[in-house]
Amino acid sequence: MAVLNAISSWSVADVQHFARRAGFGLTPADATALQAQAPGTAIDAWIDGTAYDATAFNTALLTADVVTEPLVSANTSAAGSVDVPAVAAPHAFLAEGTNAWRNNLNTAQALCAWRMQQNPYAFQERMALFWHNLFATGWHKVSNAALMLNQFQLFRSQGLGKFDDLLVAVSKDPAMLIWLDSVLNNASGTNVPNENYAREVMELYSLGADNGYNQTDITQLARALSGWSFTFAEADYIANPTNPTQLTLATGRFKVYDGSAIAPDTRLWWGGAATTSYSMHGTGTISLFARTLDITTTANGWAKGENAVRSIVSVLGANCAQFLAKRLLTHFVTSGYSAQDLNDVAALIQSSAFDLRAIMKILLKSQYFFDPTNHYSLVEGPVSWVVRAARMLCPPLATASTQSPRGYPAWRLVTNSANTFDQTGMRLLDPNGPNGWKEHTAWLNSNTMRYRTKVAAALTLGETRSYSGTTYPLFPAAVTTDWFPAAPASAQAVYDRLVALLQPAAIPASVSAAWLSALWPSTFTWDAAAQTKARELAFLILCSPAGQLY
Amino acid sequence: MTTRRAFIQTLGATGAALAGFTACGGGGGKASGSGGGTTQPPIPVPASPILVIVNIDGGWDWLNVLPPNAGANLGIYQAKRATLGIDGASLSDLGNGIGLNGDFTGMDQLHALGRVAWIEGIGMPNPNLSHFTSIDLWGQGAAMPAGTGWLGRFADSAFSPTGDVLRGLTVTSDLPVMLKGASRSFVSITGAGGYVYPAYLLSGSTVPDGATLETGWGSALTATSTDPGYVAAAQAGKLFFDAQNNAAFGAGGSLATRTTTVLYPGDATYPVKRLDGSSLTSALSSQFKLIAQMIAAGLPAQVFFSRLGGWDTHSNQAVDHPNLQRTLGGSIKALYDDLATITTASGNAQDRVMILAYSEFGRRVQENNGGTDHGTAGLSFCVGKAVKGGLYGGYPDLSNLDANGNMKFTTDFRSLYATVLDRWLGQATTTDSLLGTTYPRLGFL
Repeated sequence: MAVLNAISSWSVADVQHFARRAGFGLTPADATALQAQAPGTAIDAWIDGTAYDATAFNTALLTADVVTEPLVSANTSAAGSVDVPAVAAPHAFLAEGTNAWRNNLNTAQALCAWRMQQNPYAFQERMALFWHNLFATGWHKVSNAALMLNQFQLFRSQGLGKFDDLLVAVSKDPAMLIWLDSVLNNASGTNVPNENYAREVMELYSLGADNGYNQTDITQLARALSGWSFTFAEADYIANPTNPTQLTLATGRFKVYDGSAIAPDTRLWWGGAATTSYSMHGTGTISLFARTLDITTTANGWAKGENAVRSIVSVLGANCAQFLAKRLLTHFVTSGYSAQDLNDVAALIQSSAFDLRAIMKILLKSQYFFDPTNHYSLVEGPVSWVVRAARMLCPPLATASTQSPRGYPAWRLVTNSANTFDQTGMRLLDPNGPNGWKEHTAWLNSNTMRYRTKVAAALTLGETRSYSGTTYPLFPAAVTTDWFPAAPASAQAVYDRLVALLQPAAIPASVSAAWLSALWPSTFTWDAAAQTKARELAFLILCSPAGQLY
Repeated sequence: MTTRRAFIQTLGATGAALAGFTACGGGGGKASGSGGGTTQPPIPVPASPILVIVNIDGGWDWLNVLPPNAGANLGIYQAKRATLGIDGASLSDLGNGIGLNGDFTGMDQLHALGRVAWIEGIGMPNPNLSHFTSIDLWGQGAAMPAGTGWLGRFADSAFSPTGDVLRGLTVTSDLPVMLKGASRSFVSITGAGGYVYPAYLLSGSTVPDGATLETGWGSALTATSTDPGYVAAAQAGKLFFDAQNNAAFGAGGSLATRTTTVLYPGDATYPVKRLDGSSLTSALSSQFKLIAQMIAAGLPAQVFFSRLGGWDTHSNQAVDHPNLQRTLGGSIKALYDDLATITTASGNAQDRVMILAYSEFGRRVQENNGGTDHGTAGLSFCVGKAVKGGLYGGYPDLSNLDANGNMKFTTDFRSLYATVLDRWLGQATTTDSLLGTTYPRLGFL
C-alpha cells in the first residue's frame, strides 16, 4: 500500500529526488540549503510558491525580450492597432529579429523552456507541463501560438485548484474550443452534434476509455456542450511591436452561442460578424450517466451545459479519481504502482475533494513518494531532461541577466534549427493528437536517444548555430565555478562533482572507471585540456542509460 | 455478403488455415475502364520482398473514398451524407456497386493495372470507437503480453538477435507499438543526413570516441540490471549506435544522395493541387523519398513504416478529405513509379515492394455538421506488382448498422496480417503463433 503519511526528516538525496520530480532539479548547494529546513514547511512553501523572491525573474521576463507572452503570435491582420512598446535586444532566447513576433511555434516553445529554466517557482512550471500533457492541445490545428500560450498560462494559474474547476476552464479555453471542434458543435434544431470534444474529454481528460460511460453518454454530452465558443474584441488582439498594424488574437471570452445577443456588441463572434446572433446550443434535457440534466439552466452561475461537464466529477468521482491517480503517479512517483497504491491515491483524491493543492501536498510529502525504490524509477521526459541539464550547466539568472550578451540558452535555436523538442519526442505545445505523450519508457527509442546525444553534445561541448550572420552557442555552458567551485584535485573528483550536478541514477563503477581511464590515462592536472575532458565526461554522463532516469 | 462474412468467421473459429479467397468484382480479371491502364498479370512473390506500411492516422472516412455507386447501399448513403456525399459522376466504377473517388489521385491508374487489393469492411470485434484503443489493437494484432506489436514479434522471430539492426525501419520519429518486440524494436531514422554519433563535435580532442560512449550502453545490456527504464535507454542507445555504424551511412552519417525523375506531391511542379490551388503537402512524400533513397542505398531493410495524419475529420471534411486523398494517393502512385527506376542487388525495387495502407477505423455513416465522427469498419489496401488486384473484403450493409449507427465489419484485420506474414514475409510456419491463432488468408497474394 502507498503510505501517504508525511516524512518527518529528509536527506539531501531525498531533497534532490523531490526537486527533480516537483521542479527541474536543484544544484548541490541549493539542495543542501533546503535540506536544513523541515520537509513539511519546505514542501508547502515549494508548492505554494511562497519561498521565493521572483523579482529578478519577473524583471528578466519583462525586459529580456520583445517576445513576452502576449506578443508571440501574428497571422492575421485587422483594422486598428494596439500600442506595444518594443524592447531592445539582446533577447532572452535569441528570437528571430523581425519574424519573432509572428505565429511561431518554436518561439512559443522557447519561451516555455526559458520559463521552466529560470522560474524560481519551478513547481508552477512543472504542473503546467503535467497539465499540458494531460490536456494535450496542438498548435498545428489551433494555428495560433498566442492562444496556445494563453492556455499554458491557464495551467499555471489554475493548475493547483480543484480538478472539476480546471476541467470546466479547459473546456472553455479558446485553444481547446478550436482544437477539438467545440466551436463547430451545432445541436440546434435537428442538427447532429459534433462529438469530438465530448468523447475526448471523458476518454483522455477525466475518465479513461470505457471507464463509466458509453457511446450514448458521448452523444448526450456533445449535445450539452453544443454552441460552446468564444467572442473577442479589439483589446484581445496583440500587435507586432515593430509593425503595429499586424495583429493577432491572443485571448477570447467564453460564450455559449445560444441565440442570445452578446454585449458589448462590438465583440466579434468566432467565425462570424458582430451583427450575427448564432444559435448552436441544443435545448431541453439530456440523459447523462443515467441522470436527467437540463442543458438550458444557468443555475449556480454556470454556463448552459456546464452542469454536464461537472457531472463527470460529481457523478463518476470514483472513476475520475482513478484516472487522475494514474496520471499523477506516472508523472510524479512511479509507473510501477500496485493496484493498492492506485486505490490509495484515488481515495486521497476523493477525500481531498479533487483539490490539487491539497492532493499534491500530501502526495509529495508522503513516505510513499520518498521511498528509495521510487528514486530514479522513471525515465525523464525530454523537455524536463533538457531544462534540468540547462539549470545545472548554464549560468543562473542572476549571472546570465547581467552578461552581455546575456547568458541565456539560445532556446529559439534549440527548439528550431536544432529540432530538439521535435526529435527527442515531445514537441511542446504541439502534440500529434489529444492523447499527448506516453511517459516513462515510451520516451525512449533509437531516434529519441540519438537526439539526446545531440542535445547532450550541445549542452556540454559548446555547439554553436549561426543565425543572421551571428554565431550563438546553443547553451552557454562554461567550465566555471558553477561547475567546479574548487579546482578538482583528481579525475575522480571531476567525476564526483559532475555526478552531483547532473544527478544520474547509479552508474556502474566499471563504466565510470572505463571513462576516467580513457580520459585521463596518466597524470591529472586541472588545466584547459582537463576542462575540455570534463565537458566530455559530462557528455558521457548525460548520454548514459543512468542519465535518462530521474 | 452476409453469407461470406459468416463463412470467414466460421473458418476463423474452427482454425482452418490457408483458405485462399479469390477476388470478387472489380479489378481482378478486367480493366476497370478508368485510368487508361490495362490489367497486368501479377508477378510471383519476389525472393527478397520489402513491405512499406502506410498508417492512415486518425481514422479515415473510407466511405467517401469507395462510396456506393449503385445498389441498396446507395440510397442510404445519399440520405446520411446529404452534404458530404460524393457525387456518383465523379467516381470510377470498381464493380459490385462500389465507386472509387476521383480525388484519390493515381489510385484509379493503379487499380486499372490490377495492382491494388482492396479490403473493404476490415475491422475487429467489439470496437469502442476510441482512436487510441483501436491503434493499440491494430498495432498489437493480438492480445499479446507486454504490449508487443505484430511486426515487433516478427522481428523477435525472424531477425538475428545480434544483427539485422536495419532490417525493420520507421521513418517516423516515434516508435509505434506495432514495431515493438519483446527483445528488439525497429530503428527510427527520419533523415538521410547526419545519422551519426555526435563525435564530430569532439574533433581535436583525444577522447572519448564512440566506442567509449557505447561502453555505457553495451555494458548496461550485459549487466544484470532489470530496471525497465535503464534497460530501455541502453537498448535504444545501442540500436542507434549499431545502426549508424552501417557503411551505408558515409561521411557525416549521410546516405548516398539520390535524385528522382518522378514528381511527388509537395514538389513545386506536381500537377495535382489542393482544392484551393496551393501545393499538396509533402508530409508523406518526404517519407517515401527517404524510403526510396534507403532502398537505393542498399540498406538491408525489409519493413518500413510511414504515416500520414490528419484524417480525424470531425469538421471541415469537404475541404480536408479531398486534399488528404490527393496527398495519399498521389504519394503512393509516385513511390510506385519511382521504385521502377531503382535497381537493387536483389532485383528491381518495384518488383520487391508491396505497400500496405491501414487506418484505425472508418467513420460514422451519418454526417454531423461538416464532418463525420468516429466509426468502426474500415478499408485497407495493398499495392504491388505481385498483388492480385480486386476486392477482398465485403462491403458493409448500410441498412444493417450497429446500435450506434456504425458499419459492421466483414473481415478481421488479422486476416490481412496473416496473409502478409505468411505469403509476403515468408513466415509460413510462424504466422499463426505470431498472431496467437489461425486467421484465414486473403487471396490477393
